[in-house]
Amino acid sequence: MTAIRFSNVFKRYASGHDALLGVDFELASGEMAFLTGHSGAGKSTLLKLIMLMDRPSRGQVWIGQQDLSRLHRSQIPYLRRKIGVVFQNHQLLFDRSIFDNVALPLQVSGYDPADAARRARAALDKVGLLAREKHNPITLSTGEQQRVGIARAIVHKPRLLLADEPTGNLDPQLSEDIMRLFGQFNSIGTTVLIASHDLSLINRMQHRMLTLKNGRLVADG
Amino acid sequence: MAKPERKGQATLRQPEPRPAAPPKRGAQQHRVQFADRSRSWRRHHLSVAREALLRLKQTPIASLMTLAVLAIALALPGFLLAALGNLQGLTNGWEPQPRISLYMQTDLSDEAIDRFSRELLLREDLNSVELISRQKGLEEFREYSAFADLLDSFEDNPLPAVIMVLPRDTDPLQLPLLRSDLAALPGVEEAALDMEWVQRLDAILMLAGRGSYVLGGLLALAVLLVVGNTVRMTIESRRDEILVSKLVGATDAWVRRPFLYSGFWFGLLGGVLAWLLVQLALLMLAQPAQALASLYLTDFALQGLGLGGSLTMLASAVVLGLAGSWLAVSRHLRDIDPGAVAPGAAAPGAAAR
Repeated sequence: MTAIRFSNVFKRYASGHDALLGVDFELASGEMAFLTGHSGAGKSTLLKLIMLMDRPSRGQVWIGQQDLSRLHRSQIPYLRRKIGVVFQNHQLLFDRSIFDNVALPLQVSGYDPADAARRARAALDKVGLLAREKHNPITLSTGEQQRVGIARAIVHKPRLLLADEPTGNLDPQLSEDIMRLFGQFNSIGTTVLIASHDLSLINRMQHRMLTLKNGRLVADG
Repeated sequence: MAKPERKGQATLRQPEPRPAAPPKRGAQQHRVQFADRSRSWRRHHLSVAREALLRLKQTPIASLMTLAVLAIALALPGFLLAALGNLQGLTNGWEPQPRISLYMQTDLSDEAIDRFSRELLLREDLNSVELISRQKGLEEFREYSAFADLLDSFEDNPLPAVIMVLPRDTDPLQLPLLRSDLAALPGVEEAALDMEWVQRLDAILMLAGRGSYVLGGLLALAVLLVVGNTVRMTIESRRDEILVSKLVGATDAWVRRPFLYSGFWFGLLGGVLAWLLVQLALLMLAQPAQALASLYLTDFALQGLGLGGSLTMLASAVVLGLAGSWLAVSRHLRDIDPGAVAPGAAAPGAAAR
C-alpha cells in the first residue's frame, strides 16, 4: 500500500532553475522517512508538490490512489485535509489564541465546535502546551511555536504527516524531543515524511533516508 | 520499510486498504453525517455573518465613512426617482392632447359668441369645440379658485368667454399655424395653444427620468467600486489567515464567505441609511410641497418611496454590496494562493514578528 509515489518527476521554475530532475520513489503507508540534502537540493519543492502548492513540470505524483495531475483545482482542499504539514516558519496566526490556531483545520473541515475543542485540546496536550491554550502564540518561544505548528498538523489525525525542517533553529535537546514526537505518530500508523538537513540527528533515528542532490535522488535507504 | 504495528487509535487511519475510497457506512449513519454537515454549514454561515458585522464595528470610523458614501450614492437616485414619481403623478391628471383656447372679445354678445362657436364646429380641422360662456366661467372660477373673493371687487364679470377647441392635427409644427389662423378670426381677442407646456413638461420629465436612470447606473457603479475596494483592503489585511486556511484545506467557498458577508452588510446597512436619508428629505419637503400645492388648487400630497420602492432600494443595495465584494473576492483571492509561497521561503506577514 503506497502513501506517496513519485514517478519521474521534474520541476523547472519559470526562472529556468531545475529544482527536481527525474525523482522516483515510493513511500509505503505507515512508513517514516527523512528527506535530506543541502538547502536548494529540492526538499521544499518535493513537499510542495505533495501538498499541491505547486505542480510538477513533468512526471506524476500519487497520494494514495490519487494521481495528483488528475485532481481538479476544486478538489485540492479535500486532499490537503488528509495531510498534516509542519512548516519551517510555523505559519501561525498571531491574531488569535494558540487554541484557535490549532482548531483552524477542524473549523475549515466543518467539525462540531464541541468536538473540535476536544480534539484541539488533545492535540495541545500531546505537545505539552495545553496550559497555554488561551495565550497568543507570539508569547511562545520558537520551539514552543514549532510545537503548536505540530499540534495543528496532527489535530485532524491525518494519514500523512509532512514536516519541512521542523527542527530548523532548535537546540539538540528540543530537536530530539520533536523527532520523538514524530516517531510516536508514526508508531500509531501515520505515514511521516520529514525534510531535514540535521544529519547527526537523522542518523540516530534509524529510519529510511532519501537524499536529494541538485534535484536528483542520489541515495535511498 | 513499512511499519507493521498498528496499535490503538483506530480513528487515526482507516483500516481498509483503499485510503482514497470513502469508508463504507450504513445509510442511517450517512444521513446523520449529512445532517451534521448541513448543520455545521449553517452554523458557519451564522458565525461568519456575525463576525463580519463585528469586524465593521471594530473600525467604526472607517466603516461609518464607507457607509455614508454608500448611503449618499444610493439615496440620490432613490430620491430622484421618488421626486419624478411625484411630478408624474401630478401631471397624469392632465390630458396631453393639445388644446387651443380662444379668448373672445368681451364686448361681443353671448348670441354672437354662440353663433361663432357653431361656425367653428363646421371646420374640418377641429375635433371638438367647447364654449365656456362668461357666466359659466365666472361660476367655475368662484367654485375652484382661492381667489373667488377677488371677483367681488369687480362690478361686471371681468372674464371673457372662452372657446376651447381640440385640433384634429396634433403635429407640433402645424399647431402654431392653426393657432394664428384662429387668432386672426374676427371676434377672437387671443388664441393660446394651451397644453403645449404640459407636453414640454412631459418631455422634460421623461428626460429627467432617463437622466436619473443614467445617474443611478453611475452611482450603482460607484457603490460597486466602493464596496469592492473596501473588501479588497479587508482581504489584504487578512492575507495570512487566507493562506494558512487554504493550506489546512479550506475550500474557496469557505475563504470567500466572510468577505461576501462583509459586502452583504455594507449593502444592507448602506441601503437602510439611504432609505432613512430619502425619507428624511421627503419629510422635510412634505410641508412646503403641501403649501405650494394648495396655492395651485390641487389636493396633491407628496408620495414617499412606498413599500415597493423601499424594498427595491434595499434589495438593490444588498445586491450591489454582494456584487462588489464578489468582484473583489474573485479578483484577489486567487492571487493569495499557497502555491505562491514556498513553505521554507520567507514567511508572509504571519511570521514577521
